[in-house]
Amino acid sequence: MLSNSMGLILADHDRVHLGDLTRLRALAAVPIFGRYRIIDFTLSNMVNSGITNVGVAAMTKYKSLLDHIGTGASWDLDRMNQGLHILPPYINSSYFDRESGDLTGLYEFVIRGKQEYVVICDSNFLIKTDFSGIVSKHVESKADMTILYNQDGDRYGSPTFSLDLQEGVLRDFLVDSLDSGTQKSAIGVLVISRELLLHILSQSMSRGQAEFSIEQLLKMYEQYKICGCEYKGNCLRINSISTYYKSSMALLDPQVRKSFFDLEAPIYTKVKNEAPAYYESGSYVSNAIVSDGCTIYGSVSDSILFRGVRVEKHTNLQNCIIFQDAIIGEGADLHHVILDKNTVVRPGVKLQGQPDYPVVIGKGAIV
Amino acid sequence: MAKQNVVAMLLAGGQGSRLGVLTRNIAKPAVPFGSRYRIIDFPLSNCTNSGIETVGVLTQYQPLVLNAYMGNGHPWDLDRNTGGLSILPPYQSMSKRDWYKGTANAIYQNIHFIDRYHPKYVLILSGDHIYKMDYRKMLNHHIEKQADATIAVFEVPLEEASRFGIMNTDKTGKILEFEEKPAFPKNNLASMGVYIFNWEVLRKSLIEDENTRGSANDFGKNIIPSLLQEGKSLYAYTFQGYWKDVGTILSLWEANMDIVDTPEALNLSDRSWRIYCRNAARPPHYIADGAVVEQSVFTDGDEIYGEVYHSVIATSVLVEEGAVVRDSILMPGAVVRKGARLERVIVGMDSVIGENCKMGPGQESGDSSYKSKLCSNGISVVEGGLEVRAGLVLGGNSVLSLPEDGHDTPDLKILNVLNWEGGSRC
Repeated sequence: MLSNSMGLILADHDRVHLGDLTRLRALAAVPIFGRYRIIDFTLSNMVNSGITNVGVAAMTKYKSLLDHIGTGASWDLDRMNQGLHILPPYINSSYFDRESGDLTGLYEFVIRGKQEYVVICDSNFLIKTDFSGIVSKHVESKADMTILYNQDGDRYGSPTFSLDLQEGVLRDFLVDSLDSGTQKSAIGVLVISRELLLHILSQSMSRGQAEFSIEQLLKMYEQYKICGCEYKGNCLRINSISTYYKSSMALLDPQVRKSFFDLEAPIYTKVKNEAPAYYESGSYVSNAIVSDGCTIYGSVSDSILFRGVRVEKHTNLQNCIIFQDAIIGEGADLHHVILDKNTVVRPGVKLQGQPDYPVVIGKGAIV
Repeated sequence: MAKQNVVAMLLAGGQGSRLGVLTRNIAKPAVPFGSRYRIIDFPLSNCTNSGIETVGVLTQYQPLVLNAYMGNGHPWDLDRNTGGLSILPPYQSMSKRDWYKGTANAIYQNIHFIDRYHPKYVLILSGDHIYKMDYRKMLNHHIEKQADATIAVFEVPLEEASRFGIMNTDKTGKILEFEEKPAFPKNNLASMGVYIFNWEVLRKSLIEDENTRGSANDFGKNIIPSLLQEGKSLYAYTFQGYWKDVGTILSLWEANMDIVDTPEALNLSDRSWRIYCRNAARPPHYIADGAVVEQSVFTDGDEIYGEVYHSVIATSVLVEEGAVVRDSILMPGAVVRKGARLERVIVGMDSVIGENCKMGPGQESGDSSYKSKLCSNGISVVEGGLEVRAGLVLGGNSVLSLPEDGHDTPDLKILNVLNWEGGSRC
């Protein structure tokens, strides 16, 4: 168990925008896999690794993120000693009316930490890992920073950071290189000592910089020794709507489910206390992930339903992702569609997306 | 200690012996119910939804799982700085060291707990009924009638009344007489085991009862009759809505089936009166290509490859290809292997039904040594933590239980299940 590390989750990503799905919410708060948000995986990985001091740096659209993580009780992070800290920017505070104000919250969180190392995580991927691996590798190699990467050959579009590692040390990196699929692509998990992070943050603040990202840290490869640590498990990246769709649908594969959900290290999320899902006689369901609170009268295949979805009679859902509390009216016919929270599809409506370009209906829309 | 207007006391110490092997290792209130719940979720959720935030839970029989399940009361919002959930096991003192002798004695032994909050009213609840009830309405009725005690009653068909404690009342609802399981019932108002007392009145009565030799120290048998005798004013409060006792294997099965037959009756999806429970932290359930699911409920962690009709499936259950489950209850962590056929079977936590087993009322050629008097209507029970050998045929009204000597039998293998939480071997 990692008692020497603290966690820092970057809830937004400069280069990653998921259209309607991130119009109203931080990237980390995007719903995924029926009952989770992206941040649940990072938070649970941290907690399961023994990290109990976690900061979540939120930029602007943090309402749904705050709703979701609350006091951190769902992850056992509601603690007297450390626990969960939400670090919104000080943008409009008159007290910190300086350009560098943005990083003050971050700096203060890091300076108060008692741990030796900081595990910094982006929010555009899903992995299942124990961070003790990368932290002990970091300590052993005496690196200044250690970045996680994989080379599974999958292409997930922009941004892809291809690492040029020579004898394990970063010599160069390319953004969105064309042959990225075969290379070592960074996963947004970086280990750094608290001391060095404080040094870098204070320098950034003195220079009046307000941004902070893993990309920025990687760019310092000439100045610092940055090592790589290979991740061999399943990594599902989320860089765009189509990769969100592809990564979500991967859960229909039993092997992928097994790799993310085991009993020793569960993925925790906010509990909603819905009723169990109910299937009426005459419903037809095939290859589907269905959450509590759903009521199914129609036909659902190759799809993922979040909590509290209602599928009326004679509907046909294929290859769809339906967020919380959506209602699909009688006779509706949906293929390759992502419906955001609280949407209503009127009876008889037909919507047809394509595997690479699913139709996305924004939160609360009535179609 | 800050004053609380109402303190609820939940009697959760009973064994529930009529549930047989289902309560061998766990107290009745901790028995899984309705796919994602335990029986105790209903009274606890009713308390929190009724704004009652001080709840004492009296435990005695097999409390480990129940205590672990309740924890600090967080899932029911009962982790309060003032009041909240308190687990109250029997304890020793300088002068006495007693188990809870009866329902009234259990409260008597915790007079000091209640006194800490200086309540005006005490609500007595039991952990063996499935219902959603706003106790505030009952309390308002109690206050309006200026009663010393109010007993919640449920209208049962007159022909079934002799199974219950019956209240004989006048036109205003004032209780004239209480009859425990009368052979010739005069009325059909059955006690639900939900009482509100003015604390002062109950406190005095509990002390008197304790000093009465030969008393069974029971609310129904002693406290209520003696209050009536003293001329105290006791009223019946008629509860409208779904209410079901789950004290027997048949009634537990029926109440589960109500969820799939008439989901609107208990209406678990009513968001204004949620039933809270401790969460299993499992992913949503998966229904495979080729599976058939009809008129059934499922919850997180299930993986369904076979056919499930008219059944209640708890968390982390696996139904393999070609298995057929009908009119059954699968408790947390149950596994039904390929080709098995179950009808009217309650499968206990983490039990594994071997390939091609056939269980149900239609399988009368099965081994009759497993027949049990606790079962009726063709319902069978497989105790938790058992692996049933492939191909076993079992008729209705049977029980497969852990071998008493702790050794495997040709039919049954004892599984190493440690925590009794269900789904521990997935």
